[in-house]
Amino acid sequence: MTLVEHIRGESARLASLCTACGACVSACPMTPYAAGVAEAGPGAVATGMRDVLRDGPGTPAALAWIAACTRSGVCSAACPEQLDAAFMMRLATWRAKGALGEAPKIPVKEDTQYSPKVKAFARLTLTEEEQAQWL
Amino acid sequence: MAVTPDSAVFWYGCNMTRHGEVIRTTTRLLEAVGMDAAPSGGPAHCCGSPKDASARINEGMAKRTIEGFNATGRETLVTWCPSCHMNMQDSMAPVTPTNFETVHVSEVLHARRDKLRPLLKGRVERRVLLHAHLGFNGRVPVNAMIPEILLMIPGLEVVEHPYRAPGHMCSAISAVPGALADAQRATLAAMAETGADTLCTIFHSCHRESVSLERQGVGVANWIHLLAESLGWPAEDGYKAWRNAADPRAAIGEAGIAAVGELAYERFLDAELRKKPTI
Repeated sequence: MTLVEHIRGESARLASLCTACGACVSACPMTPYAAGVAEAGPGAVATGMRDVLRDGPGTPAALAWIAACTRSGVCSAACPEQLDAAFMMRLATWRAKGALGEAPKIPVKEDTQYSPKVKAFARLTLTEEEQAQWL
Repeated sequence: MAVTPDSAVFWYGCNMTRHGEVIRTTTRLLEAVGMDAAPSGGPAHCCGSPKDASARINEGMAKRTIEGFNATGRETLVTWCPSCHMNMQDSMAPVTPTNFETVHVSEVLHARRDKLRPLLKGRVERRVLLHAHLGFNGRVPVNAMIPEILLMIPGLEVVEHPYRAPGHMCSAISAVPGALADAQRATLAAMAETGADTLCTIFHSCHRESVSLERQGVGVANWIHLLAESLGWPAEDGYKAWRNAADPRAAIGEAGIAAVGELAYERFLDAELRKKPTI
């Protein structure tokens, strides 16, 4: 199985089980940082997130919520269907970032200096022997 | 939780290279409780999440990492980074078969804390607030286990406060405008309310984002630093010193700059080390 297949399969499975009741949205501590979520209401935002899992465009409020997800995980505990809502949001984030090859629906922030920065810090904090063995 | 003894890989992640002393000390702690854990991390052992916008690239990076771990023949993968840990369980292992069990370092040290207890002889007179997040704790109960480990340190007190920062660690909330500043203000308020003198970070990105809070008059230490202090092991927090120095370049010194390389220092490190505190 590829990661693309894993994301597609789990998206379809969880979207089919999700009732879009909005309990996950209501529990989320990040909604104050997601524009339009309060106005749209939890059910509509959850419906938009589920739409993203089903290859749909989502809604502006749902995409703002997906973009603000920081993996707090309280959505899973709040789900009355006992779904892994945090993983649903992880899947939705992948989908919204265009991981499957579509155009991104939310901003993608990639640190192009990530790898050289990690290596530069290693040269500062690790001995040459540690770098040779541990990196 | 079953902890397979003795032979492990200590997967410290990527951004932990800012804190070499934490990698070194954690490896030594694992050894002290009977686990031979070979440190492994950096970009060559990436979980793939820096390339979340491409499943194909993400998978390639993750697959290379798992195949490397499989090839060691070690039965346990001890994680440090909550993001790596979750990615291993959620997207890496389901795609690429593994021949190891994944456990978080806090689980290992907590399960074997009776071996650690007699070694913690030095008093650490601190009143500590744990820097706790909401996330990851539902998967591995770090917010309960780490205080139980810390309370074995003579003289150390862990205060309780209900505040939990959003997200699984501070790198996540730092990407959302306003969220990290709000969390840091709430954390300082919790410290004032409880009379804590030290903020104890659990994860590396929280430590990275919190060290500048020392300018607000509170102490900041990672839980591994506190254990090292009691054990009498050297674990100087270089990153904290550089971030809080008026001149990070001078604080690092000529030998350190030479080790990094002048160009690499200027291009990759200087801006981060001079970054203004969030609050």
